[in-house]
Amino acid sequence: MKRYHEPVWQFLSPSLVVVGVFSLYPIFESFRLSFYRMILTLPWLGQKFVGWRNYADLISDPVALSSFTTSALFVAVTTPIEVLLGLGMALVLNESFRGRGWLRAVVLIPWAVPTVVASQMWRFIFNDRYGVFNYLLFGDATQFYWAPLAEPGLALMSIMIADVWKTSAFAALIILAGLQGIPHELYEAVNVDGASAWQKFRHITLPLIKPALLLALLFRTIDALKVFDLVFVMTQGGPADSTNVLQFYGYKKSFAEGMIGYGSAIAVAVFLVSLLLSLLYIRLLGAGLLRKERAA
Amino acid sequence: MRTIFSLAIILFLAPCVEAQTQLRFVTWTSEAAKVWTQIIADFEAAHPGVKVVQEVGPSSSTEFHDLITQKLRNRDPQLDVFFMDVIWPAEFAAAGWALPLDEFFPIAEQKQFLEAPMQADRYAQRVYGVPVFVDAGMLYFRKDLLEKHGFAPPRTWPELVRQAQSILAQERDPYLTGYSAQFKQYEGLICNMMEFILGNGATLWNEQELRSTLQDTRAKEAVRFVRDQIVGAISNRGILAYQESESLALFTQGKAIFHRNWPYAWEVANDAKQSKVAGKVGVMPLPAFPGQKSVATLGGWQLAISRFSRQPQIAWQFVQFMTSAETQKRVALSTGRAPARAALYHDAEILKRYPQFDSQYQTFVRAVPRPRTPVYLPLANIMQRYFSSAIAIADSDIDGLARSAARDMDRMLELLRDRRQP
Repeated sequence: MKRYHEPVWQFLSPSLVVVGVFSLYPIFESFRLSFYRMILTLPWLGQKFVGWRNYADLISDPVALSSFTTSALFVAVTTPIEVLLGLGMALVLNESFRGRGWLRAVVLIPWAVPTVVASQMWRFIFNDRYGVFNYLLFGDATQFYWAPLAEPGLALMSIMIADVWKTSAFAALIILAGLQGIPHELYEAVNVDGASAWQKFRHITLPLIKPALLLALLFRTIDALKVFDLVFVMTQGGPADSTNVLQFYGYKKSFAEGMIGYGSAIAVAVFLVSLLLSLLYIRLLGAGLLRKERAA
Repeated sequence: MRTIFSLAIILFLAPCVEAQTQLRFVTWTSEAAKVWTQIIADFEAAHPGVKVVQEVGPSSSTEFHDLITQKLRNRDPQLDVFFMDVIWPAEFAAAGWALPLDEFFPIAEQKQFLEAPMQADRYAQRVYGVPVFVDAGMLYFRKDLLEKHGFAPPRTWPELVRQAQSILAQERDPYLTGYSAQFKQYEGLICNMMEFILGNGATLWNEQELRSTLQDTRAKEAVRFVRDQIVGAISNRGILAYQESESLALFTQGKAIFHRNWPYAWEVANDAKQSKVAGKVGVMPLPAFPGQKSVATLGGWQLAISRFSRQPQIAWQFVQFMTSAETQKRVALSTGRAPARAALYHDAEILKRYPQFDSQYQTFVRAVPRPRTPVYLPLANIMQRYFSSAIAIADSDIDGLARSAARDMDRMLELLRDRRQP
């Protein structure tokens, strides 16, 4: 029998080229640049190889450390809330009721609004004098009005609220897809066995949407770690540097200050942290899952 | 065969395309947009064969900087003429991005412009921009409120605070604030803080010795004053999140007694359509600390030519046209923005329409530029962080914050020393 060679590489090559040019090359280039001292506005310093110096500077840079903490706090608070809210929304949207199609579309609106537009909107909402936020809380009692974006202790929280509002729907969407993949027979079977609603959720729904939950958690974590536009529009890192997340700090270094080497080191740090977190999630939450699939 | 045919078409059409030179002009939207479009049309009419293609960028200086530097670092030949903030010439010159204009721009012609922005356009004895608009910080105040409470416009900062406290106590309007200005962590914060610090006889840095002077007692005193007497006493906390537009909105809504802003605010505050205080507004130089001189931060915009432009000659003709006495007068008359040519401050027609230019002239002449150095943006980020941390927290450790800011600035300035001993 004549052996038939499938043209694997020919078919793969277009996507490999795209991934190579637009993903691998920039990552590699960031790595390379992070070992140089290169300051665009001081061209006479040249492009000097400095080894691990940028990384050493990064570790001892108090601003970088505080923005790392800010980012970590942002991830730790927003991600669980978004996934939990998303789960709640998905469970509701998965029930059949009148107007479900409409509600599904409406829920997605915050996620569909461009982030810059949403950020501007939240900036107005949080305005200390004309914002809806204060009006809803205190009405005409202006003496109690807060200035959320002006208080170092509240500004990050305000951005977190905007982020939760905006992206919970995204988590809901992924989880909803997971819910819809659960075969209806399973519920019919446990109904016969007389399981309570909680038991149904705990023993059927939750285990079966675990992959979707993991995916939502993973996407949200990485996105939250890279939060940039909300900060850029709402606070520019202030007040008192309280919202200076890592990605915004890196942007300022690379783009505004022209410190290409140091900025790249920050970008690589963000990349490595998200890579580590992703691996960790897959290990912790996905391990059992992969095994079961193999057994099936 | 087909290739030869298409090649023939291209060769045949090429001269037609060539005949029209495209000049790329990157600008931002402003209240001047309408009159500028007319002026550009006039330029095209006067220079047949030249077509000016406008690219409109964001109007925030920081974002506009991102756009322009992105093009310049990529050596984009699609950029000929662009707007340059008054703080960028040193950076763009050192990076080799802006074209030196000395061969086009004779000294005699340079002398026609106000000295402050002209100085800001020079770096290492060469000139890199032509001033278009000039800006300087001014104090706006509610004439009616001051008269009602029997106060003369304040000459010193402590006087301003006392007047504001007294008026606030008597008006009992919970919405009213004493002082509205730009204290968000961004470039405007530096402009504002610099006016307090220099108005107390201190400086931000020592240009000759290349070191930060933020640790000097008088500099720290000014910062402490802003924290305790302005933010902590007569202003609403929201001021810490305000840029120009929010702070001006508060003033035009009649909810601020004193307001610091650029000259453009005069037109807005006196326009009955957008302002509740039209006709009740006074403007004067900013106060100083007792025994010191008033200082205004220099702002403003220049036109510059990209070093990577393929048609610097035509680009210069365009810059010249846009900054000519005639054009500047036209723009000033229709927008009320302060022109950069000195002679226009004595122009009868302009003074009749905008009498405030007469008294503001001295402020423009004496306006102080922010540090002129290629590392200005790194220094600015350090200072923004310092000022914001110092004034936003009521019991901030100003000494410690100033020490670390000065150390960070010195480390940055250290890089400039290398150049002296290559």
